[in-house]
Amino acid sequence: MSAVGTPAARTGGGPAAAPLGAGWRTLLTPAGVLLAAVATVAYTQAADLDSTEARSLNLPHIAAKTWEHVGLTAVSTLLVLAIAVPLGVLVSRRWMRWSTPAVLAVANIGQSAPPVGVIVLLAIAVGIGFWPAVVALVLYGMLPALRNTMVGLREVDPALVEAARGIGMSAWRVLVRVELPLAVPVILAGVRTTVVHNVGVAGLAAFINGGGLGELVVSGVNTSRVATLVVGSVLIALLALLVDWIAGVVTAALRPKGL
Amino acid sequence: MTLPEYIASRFDMLAFQAVQHASMVAQCLLVAAAVGVGLGILVHRDERATALATGATSVLFTIPSLAMLGLLIAPLGLGVAPSVTAIVLYALLPVLRNTIVGLNGVDPALVEAARGIGMSRSRVLLRVQLPLAWPVILTGLRVAAQLAMGIGAIAAFVSGPGLGDQIFSGLARIGAANALNATLVGTLGIVLMALLFDALFVLIGKLTTSRGIRSHA
Repeated sequence: MSAVGTPAARTGGGPAAAPLGAGWRTLLTPAGVLLAAVATVAYTQAADLDSTEARSLNLPHIAAKTWEHVGLTAVSTLLVLAIAVPLGVLVSRRWMRWSTPAVLAVANIGQSAPPVGVIVLLAIAVGIGFWPAVVALVLYGMLPALRNTMVGLREVDPALVEAARGIGMSAWRVLVRVELPLAVPVILAGVRTTVVHNVGVAGLAAFINGGGLGELVVSGVNTSRVATLVVGSVLIALLALLVDWIAGVVTAALRPKGL
Repeated sequence: MTLPEYIASRFDMLAFQAVQHASMVAQCLLVAAAVGVGLGILVHRDERATALATGATSVLFTIPSLAMLGLLIAPLGLGVAPSVTAIVLYALLPVLRNTIVGLNGVDPALVEAARGIGMSRSRVLLRVQLPLAWPVILTGLRVAAQLAMGIGAIAAFVSGPGLGDQIFSGLARIGAANALNATLVGTLGIVLMALLFDALFVLIGKLTTSRGIRSHA
């Protein structure tokens, strides 16, 4: 266990930090999550709902909202990966090193912007709907991935880079064969933070008609229907726990063998 | 209306909301600090208790804030209660984790030496372990403050206090004249306060770190 606060540690950790190799206990989290999800959905089918609740809590609607939520999270996470990792590599190159403190400062300040504010600002700037929500998710999710890419690359022992250069590797080969593999655990910790964040921020997409399970929460609050609100909240929470577990398993599987 | 005009025309209300936001965050941090440090002191010696406490707070931490607020509305209703409860719960994780790490990071030889010169357990804790762990605990509080600021913004959705109200009134009036101004004031105001709190913690750290470890803290 490491302290929260150092850049790498702040974004790493989580309950499933070492999911592989823990045997059957690895499967405890997804089994529990699925069980709770089934119980929640079963409740919506068995409970005596009024017409307002029934409009939100029928099976096709819940499935559609869940699918939208997964879509928002997946699309934005892929975009973050495609942008943040190359950008992090770029600003970590020797001739760009001067920009590191500035980029980190901007990333840290940006992180303290409340996501709901960012989402509403984007809605005002580009309109409401799925894609503005994705843009907000990407902007917000960029920061942990970018920061961890930079930190991970910076923490690679310079002696190893020099040794690789010394045996005749090109700068590109050093990056691909030495620096990136060594930085992978830190980068993946950042990506894991991003994707779990995104499940949460995707819930806020409902405020700007971006869809997702947040719609159940918002309409539950607006129509004072506690059942709708709680079902939406429970499903978002379960999705976040499940995504965190999946990210943990993937992180462990992708860790380079030499580390 | 430009942003400065907007701020000038509603200065009293905005100042009130900013103070409300800051005081909500500060009070939540106090509670989280008391509970988190207390719990950390209680569990840090025992490996299983430590795993249980950090595991439980990690799970809480993974739950998105909107979902947490939604779940808290059911028992607590709308308003201040669910907002404050959610903020305290999220602020607990960094404080608790850093307390445990900080206390366990203290060199056991120092603890043994303190015991050897006749200090009681609680005196060792107060005079040796806590002062040495303090910079780490303070870092946890800093992270907690940043989290609390952002979650405080969503509190307005459940009729909680603070600057989040500006963001949500901007949202409600998208297309109208002052939507952008309100949202900008809410968002930037919270960023500004987060930076101020951060600076405050740096200052507190300078003032309260034990002199013996100040050089490398």
